[in-house]
Amino acid sequence: MFMANCPNCGAAISFRSINLPVRVCDYCHSSIVRSDAGLVSTGKVAEVPEDVSPLQIGVRGKDGAHSFELIGRVRWRWTDGGWNEWLALFDDGSTGWIGEAMGRYMLLREVPSTGPGNAVERSLREGKEVILGTEVMINWVKYRVTDVKQAVCAGSEGELPFNTPPGFAMPSVDLMADDGHCASIQKDGDTVQVYAGRYATLAELKPTGLRAFEGWPMPRFAA
Amino acid sequence: MTEAAPTAAPSTVRALTCTQCGGTLSLRAAGYTVSLVCEHCGATLDTTDPQLRIIARATTALRRPLIPLGSRGVLRGETWEVVGYLERSDGDGDWSEYLLFNPYQGYGWLIDDGRRFSYGFLLDRLPEMDGTQLVIDNGKSLDFYSGPYPAKVRFVVGEFYWRVAVGERVRVTDYVRPGTIVSCEENDSERTWSRMDLLNWGEAERAFGIQQRHPNTSTPSPQEPSPWRDRLVESLIIGAVAAFTLIVIAIIGSGSTRVASADFEAGLDGATRTVVIHNIDIPAHSSAIRISAQSDQLDNSWVDLDYSLVDRRTQQSFDAYGLAEHYHGSDSDGPWSEGNTRPDVRLSSIPPGSYDLVIELAAHRWVPYTSPDFYNARTVDPNPVPIPVTITVDRGGMFGGNVLLGLILIAIWPGFVFWRHYSFEKRRSGDLDADGDDS
Repeated sequence: MFMANCPNCGAAISFRSINLPVRVCDYCHSSIVRSDAGLVSTGKVAEVPEDVSPLQIGVRGKDGAHSFELIGRVRWRWTDGGWNEWLALFDDGSTGWIGEAMGRYMLLREVPSTGPGNAVERSLREGKEVILGTEVMINWVKYRVTDVKQAVCAGSEGELPFNTPPGFAMPSVDLMADDGHCASIQKDGDTVQVYAGRYATLAELKPTGLRAFEGWPMPRFAA
Repeated sequence: MTEAAPTAAPSTVRALTCTQCGGTLSLRAAGYTVSLVCEHCGATLDTTDPQLRIIARATTALRRPLIPLGSRGVLRGETWEVVGYLERSDGDGDWSEYLLFNPYQGYGWLIDDGRRFSYGFLLDRLPEMDGTQLVIDNGKSLDFYSGPYPAKVRFVVGEFYWRVAVGERVRVTDYVRPGTIVSCEENDSERTWSRMDLLNWGEAERAFGIQQRHPNTSTPSPQEPSPWRDRLVESLIIGAVAAFTLIVIAIIGSGSTRVASADFEAGLDGATRTVVIHNIDIPAHSSAIRISAQSDQLDNSWVDLDYSLVDRRTQQSFDAYGLAEHYHGSDSDGPWSEGNTRPDVRLSSIPPGSYDLVIELAAHRWVPYTSPDFYNARTVDPNPVPIPVTITVDRGGMFGGNVLLGLILIAIWPGFVFWRHYSFEKRRSGDLDADGDDS
């Protein structure tokens, strides 16, 4: 872990990952970007609105043999709801996302561009509308587009792979396979990112350090 | 590492003020909830908007859910809080759905069809189709039941993770197996699959502290397992074992033993003769006696056979009557003949002991009513024509009638259970609008 001080407010900030460029200060909510010139504050970002997610930064869990720790979060909003994307730092230094929506969890890893053969990726790049039900292959799994929406960042915290300035928005496409696999394709500026993984229950993530809520017993799987 | 300071755990419930009526509201699933329908005025508020913008005003009269919003209960080991309540209708019937929330478990459903409760979850894997059957992830298959039929939201209160609205319509297709129903709900942009497990009588009531409902199976739910099914299987097994045992005993027991046989002569139209077969022993395990007569020389005549089986020690008498007869003639339909020359009589429940069989034999000539002799007084022939009669006594053996009666008795319970099971299944799978019951 690498410790520093917020260039904006001077509070102590920690970096658990050596690779991630962005850290949101826990105190002043400034977005601090690492660069060759050192730590630069790029201005304040929105604080994540209060929610009742059982996850929080510092929660540890497992994806099969790999253990992870949650180090960052982006809260997204769209016209009919919102969801969290938690950044997980794995024990091998890689990162993944845990999507949390409607009380359900998706474990997603970025996959290299699937190329022009991916109709969704192509449409996003060309700024065309993505049609519900479009089928695409990602890592030999057939997915269908189940949702297309414009996601607006409602707040962020911790360490992140990208900056989330106020009003930060991007198109987001959800995909589902028949066998519990799921995927998400997003467009940030000119880059299209493909994330693929699967639905998981909270219990399957073998979490520890979950948030406690008054009056709710901690589930057995998190003990 | 920054450990969370040991402050008091936050509550999941946040107090809000209704933008429309100013009433105090509870937001129980902040971050997940998208729509909140005020329990005081029925206005729908947008909880993704910090201003709690009013999306819709009440269009229906407010109703109080049987289980109040905010109730907590433990259902099959999980603690749930009731956060939302919907009433839906498919045109034929109404049902209620409670949206349940637990911050660690996400969402669940409690569905009340007015009679029984079911416990529902969204499926996170799409079911597979196998012919007309649906296979869900635990490998269980379900049969198509009904649909697609339209279902419409008629009333809503509380909070939901989607844009809920009265009048919202989906198309529902149901698949069933005993105890479980899997429903596909679709609209133009989404298709969701959910699974509902029928709860035992009283389970939901106990969990959420409402009045117990009395079990009744008059109008079963489509996924309701027949309460008679287990009893039917059980009764069929017991019945089959009993019937098999009875038949085996009947076959073993039917090996009868010849006890006595003697030839006698009856005098045709002569005096009644009394003959005796002595020393018929009836052992303790065999109480059935068959007395057979054989008189093959009857010709338009009959022999009355009065039997008395007399216990030599107690003089207790068991009486029976036999009739050997043979008639023939000719009429407009041609020649005819009738009568049994070898009648059997059976005596059951004879106590063990040593017996004498006393037989009174009286043979008579048959006089047709067309004959002039019909009106003449009968006289006893002092020198009658002898009619040979052979009397045979067998013991043991089963009475076919008793075996049949036994089988019928054995079949009564399985038959009753089958009838109850069958009528239940008929009601369960019955045409949805057959009863026209739209309450």
